[in-house]
Amino acid sequence: MSEMIAQLVGVGHQYEEGPEIFKGVTFNIEKGSFHFLTGPSGSGKSSLLKILYLGLKPAWGSIHLFGEDTLKMKPLLLPLLRQRIGVVFQEFKLLDHLKVVDNVSLPLRVRGLEARRGHKQAQELLDWVGLGDCIEAYPPSLSGGQKQRVAIARAVITRPQFLLADEPTGNVDDEMAMKLLHLFEELNKMGTAIVIATHNSRLLKRFPYPQLSIREGAILKLPTQVME
Amino acid sequence: MNNRQDLPLKNDIAARFVPKIVALMVYLGTLCFVFTLFMIHLTHTWEAEFTNDLSIEIPTFPGTPSSVLQARVLHLLNKTPGIRQAAAVPQKDMANLFNTLLGEEINIDLLSLPVVIEVAFDGKESVDTQILETHLKNISPHIQLLDHRTWQSQVSNLIHTSVLLALLITFLVLLAALATTTFATRTSLLIHRQIIEVLSLIGATNSYIANQFQINVLKQGLFASILGSFLAFLTFLGISLLLEKAGLPFIINSSFFFQAICIFMLAPFLTALSMMLSARWAVMKALRS
Repeated sequence: MSEMIAQLVGVGHQYEEGPEIFKGVTFNIEKGSFHFLTGPSGSGKSSLLKILYLGLKPAWGSIHLFGEDTLKMKPLLLPLLRQRIGVVFQEFKLLDHLKVVDNVSLPLRVRGLEARRGHKQAQELLDWVGLGDCIEAYPPSLSGGQKQRVAIARAVITRPQFLLADEPTGNVDDEMAMKLLHLFEELNKMGTAIVIATHNSRLLKRFPYPQLSIREGAILKLPTQVME
Repeated sequence: MNNRQDLPLKNDIAARFVPKIVALMVYLGTLCFVFTLFMIHLTHTWEAEFTNDLSIEIPTFPGTPSSVLQARVLHLLNKTPGIRQAAAVPQKDMANLFNTLLGEEINIDLLSLPVVIEVAFDGKESVDTQILETHLKNISPHIQLLDHRTWQSQVSNLIHTSVLLALLITFLVLLAALATTTFATRTSLLIHRQIIEVLSLIGATNSYIANQFQINVLKQGLFASILGSFLAFLTFLGISLLLEKAGLPFIINSSFFFQAICIFMLAPFLTALSMMLSARWAVMKALRS
């Protein structure tokens, strides 16, 4: 039996008095797996990712990450789980007062790596995503696509065991989207479990990985190469 | 401890007013504490200088010569149990004292100065001053007995109350500085809530986030309290010079001066450390909740 990265059982959520976004969601993410998370706008893809990266506590159900019951864990231990997860946020969440190189190396600093070594790794990664000449820039001066690539570089710099990306190719051209997906594939080959929320049908066609599709509040695990 | 700042705390509004408030607090606090120390020092010096517990005045008047009365009083005192020493104040010392008060041009010999006998107890046996006074009145009804212990005790109590009050004020000033730090830290937490959320989501521990705040507060606290303490030292120096000019250099002697310098040097570090710990406490408490 392969090692489980995430196990969701009967997970449901609703925001305050609003309607249920999803209910009874049950699925597993195995080590080294690659999934696309699909579904129409407002179906709850981002909320489900939030629950997976421990940014949101579900109203119902249980979540195990790396074998730990996250809802019963001491809050002090949650950062240790988060350090094993890389996240590409839909709205990037870059820190505007830090240079690009500092933004990218931030997860390494949080883990205690000295700034100089962090910068070296960040620079290599920024070169790879085509932003080698922007390391001294501040995020407000970047375009949407550039910010997205910085956010991706920040999410993968620690080589996380679990990578969650919310529309990571939404602001880049097709060529860059393919390049970024190849980066995710490289990470996946090294054992990182990947879940990418996307609408991009060309991407789904080009990269035939299994899909987790949210339909009417429930999740369907679609086999490989099933189209939206 | 990672010294790198991931939060833009230097640009906070709170960062602008906290150092000014802390500098003022440290200025007031250190001066108040040095004043307390001064009062304690003064009390000890003053108490140590008091070697006599009673004074007996034999007024000069026609009739029995005061030398005869003096001899009889000394005889009585020397045989009274509990008295260690009894001696008349030399006329020369009396003259010096009166000259200081009345001026050099006054001829003391023309004044009929009383004979003053200073009495010191041995501390082993208690002396009943009422019985002693009765015996003295038997020698001459004009003899006066002055018990210094009563007013010494009153002055001592007053000084001790002042010391407690000064310590209380120092404590309140420190408390106000810490409350200001806590308030400013909570404001910063609210201002930077989104950045803190990002740091948390990428795996920063509460301790890492608290470090960011505490390093900033430590820097601010050190700068502000060194400034406040330095200004307090200048004020203290000014007061010392004024006292010296007024002919009272003995009030601030070298031993006290050294102690005061130590306080002026230690206060910034202790204040900054306390501020740092209160900032950490405020952040950890907020993040836990």
